[in-house]
Order: sequence, then C-alpha cells, then structure tokens
Amino acid sequence: MTDLERQLTQLGRELDWPPTPDLAIPIRARVTPAPVARRRPAIFRRSFAIALAALLVLAGGVFAAVPGVRHSVLDFFGLRGATVERRDHLPPAPRPRPPAVGARTTLAHAREVLGFVPLVPAAAGPPDRVFVDGRVPGGRLSLEYRASRDLPEAKSTGLGLLVDEFRGDLNPEYAQKMAGQATRIEPFTLDGEHAIWVAGAPHFFFYRAPGNAFEERRLRIAQNVLLLEHGRLLVRLEGAFGRARAIEVARSLGAPASKRKK
Amino acid sequence: MEDRPPHEAELLARAKRGELDAYEEIVRLHQTIAFRTAWVITRSSADAEEATQDAFVKAHAALPRFRDGAPFRPWVLAIVANEARNRVRSAGRRAGLALRVAEERRPDDAVPSPEAALLDSERREQLLAAIERLPDGAREAIACRYLLELSEEETAAALDCPRGTVKSRLSRALERLRAELGEEVQA
Repeated sequence: MTDLERQLTQLGRELDWPPTPDLAIPIRARVTPAPVARRRPAIFRRSFAIALAALLVLAGGVFAAVPGVRHSVLDFFGLRGATVERRDHLPPAPRPRPPAVGARTTLAHAREVLGFVPLVPAAAGPPDRVFVDGRVPGGRLSLEYRASRDLPEAKSTGLGLLVDEFRGDLNPEYAQKMAGQATRIEPFTLDGEHAIWVAGAPHFFFYRAPGNAFEERRLRIAQNVLLLEHGRLLVRLEGAFGRARAIEVARSLGAPASKRKK
Repeated sequence: MEDRPPHEAELLARAKRGELDAYEEIVRLHQTIAFRTAWVITRSSADAEEATQDAFVKAHAALPRFRDGAPFRPWVLAIVANEARNRVRSAGRRAGLALRVAEERRPDDAVPSPEAALLDSERREQLLAAIERLPDGAREAIACRYLLELSEEETAAALDCPRGTVKSRLSRALERLRAELGEEVQA
C-alpha cells in the first residue's frame, strides 16, 4: 500500500459520513411474508390437505369397524384464516398450557414490524402485554389482558382476554380448531363480516405455522372463542366471557380499513 | 439482547428458512456499509436510503437462490449499487461528494491504524478537494476501495465490473489523483 492509499483509507475513517438511518425495521416490514411461505404455500396447503384426508380416511376406516362410531368430521366451518371442524371423536386432551405467543414487544414496535395495522379493542383498554410472532407471513399480534371483573379468567389461557390478529388473506388456514359434539359452533355475520362463535365445552386449537404439518403437541385447549374476519385480518378473541361480551369487544376494534369511510 | 450475534452463515440459514428476526439481524450488520456505498453513488441521503431499502428487500426475495457459504456482503453490495445507479440515472443529476471531516468525533470515534498517523487538516482538505475533481468513475472507485475500505471483490461488485478491471481502474484513478494533487507517482 502506498502512502497515498494509506492516507485515503485514513481519510475515510475521519469523514463525517451522512448518518445511516435504521433500515432494519422498515425492511423487515416490507419483506413479510417470508419467502419460504410466499413461494410455496399452495404445495404445503395441498400436502397438508392430503395428509389430513389420509388421516380422516384412516380414521373413518377404523371407526367404521367400531359399531356406533360414524364419520370423524361431522361439520366444517371456514373463515379466511381459520377453520373449525366438528368431530365426534377428539384426540386425547392435551394438558392446559399457556399459549405460544411469540416475542414480547410494544405496540409501537408491533406497528413497525407487522404487515398490518394492529387493532386494539377499545372496550378492553390498552393490553397488559404485547407479543409479535414474526414467523407468520405478515406477522401475528397477540394482546394479553389480565383477568378483571369485566374479563374473568379463562382456564385455557390464565388470562381475561387474549386477542390474536394476523393476515387471514396470507394465511388461509392458519388457525384450526377441532371441536366435539358438546361444543357450540355458531357461524354468523357481524357488521357484514363473517364470524364464528365457538363456546360451551372446551375445544382444541392450534396454529399451523406456514410450511409445517400439523403436530399434535401444538394442540391447545381453548375456551370460548370468537373468530372474526376483519378486512384482511383474522381476529381471534379467547376468554371466559359470553357471546355478547365477545361481540362488544370485537366491535370496539373499529371498522376494517376498507370500510372506514366516515 | 446481550447475546453475541450469531455467526452470519447461521443467520443466513435461518433467514432462508423464513425467519425474519435473522434477516433483520443481517440488515443491521450491513446497513451502514450498504447505505454509504449507495450514498457514494447517489450522493443523496434520501436516494441512498431508498436504494438500500429496496436492495435488501430484493436480496431477501432472492435469498433462496443465494449460494450457501458464499460471502453475503459483496452479493448484497452489488444489489445496492445497482439500485443506487438506477436512481442516479433517473435523477439525471448529481450533487458533489460534499464530504466533510468529522472534527468533533475524531478523538473517540476514529480508529487510526497504528502505522498511519492522523492526517493534518490541510492534507485532508487537499485530498477531499482532489477527489471532488475526479471524474465520476474514478471517484467512485477511490471512494469504494479506500474511503469505505471495501475489498477488491466488493469494489468490483459495487462498480459492476470484473475484479481484474477494478485493479486497472484503481491504478488509473490513483494516478489521476496524484496528478490532481500535483504529486509524482510514488513507488
């Protein structure tokens, strides 16, 4: 290296370069959904559907051989982002355990990293804890509310209210439920959006991460749940509350961005 | 947060599997050099920011094609420089290099190599002025290789030319610079 080259190197170190903006967060917001999920969702969905079909055929075969046991899946309900199946036979109950909610963060940070604007139910006030799971295309937001007089504790979560939000349009079958015959499954329309109220007997619930097949260890017992399409989002409210209270909380999320005119 | 940053190869493997945390970490590791490279080409902070963002987004989309074990920095710098050049072409004009020496930061921020004494202020102004007078291509080569301390491979990626060409372009650029400085060619 010549003197001049050394001096140039030194000059570079002493220069007042324009400050580098923090690009990691805006870039992260733009790269959701993850390439793996974006590139191959159809294949994974299909392989999962085939696996599920195979399982059901197998189960059907087994059940058919047992007197009094009929088809496994009695009914099927679908929203964009969530499915609910009614079965006459459920897998063995998993032990109750806390929901897997991702990394703890703040609402402000969640706003930066999620592929949607987080909705906070005004009827429940600001959440006690905020979590983001970035492994889901568009990200998944979880808002936790401690139990209170208005929001009694749900045994399934140990919380008064758990709100999950994710992009249903990017994750068409992400939230999946299996319910037995004692569980009420009521599809209805809430202010023009499709919704399902699942209550009564506890049911099983799992998120199927993109690219992952169903795993029984992900099963979780859920209490009363309102599933709601909200614009591009799928919102899931879980608690020990009744349907009217769930609807009140859901309405306080505000109108979906597409309908916000007034 | 106190953990040591995982090795880049591991981060890349995780990012390839779709982990956004890992990609965010990769961006943080390289954003400064990427932004400065873009700035050397565009000479505008706004354009450099946009170019760097777009480049990292494109790089993420191209990750499945990124060869395992290959160095990430030259690869992403090539994408950054390309984005930056596209902006220069569309902007159609360039400001001067307009770099200044960070006087107030020098005592704790500058990390002088032991063999190189700090430059005196007169020499710095002289060098900067001479760099300003260089043609665009020569100035970019000098800025990438010496001011930003990119490797030859990275400089080649940023200048979008073969590595062999970098050597000859640099040697011509240094000659021009010496001429601008009114100095004889040194051995």
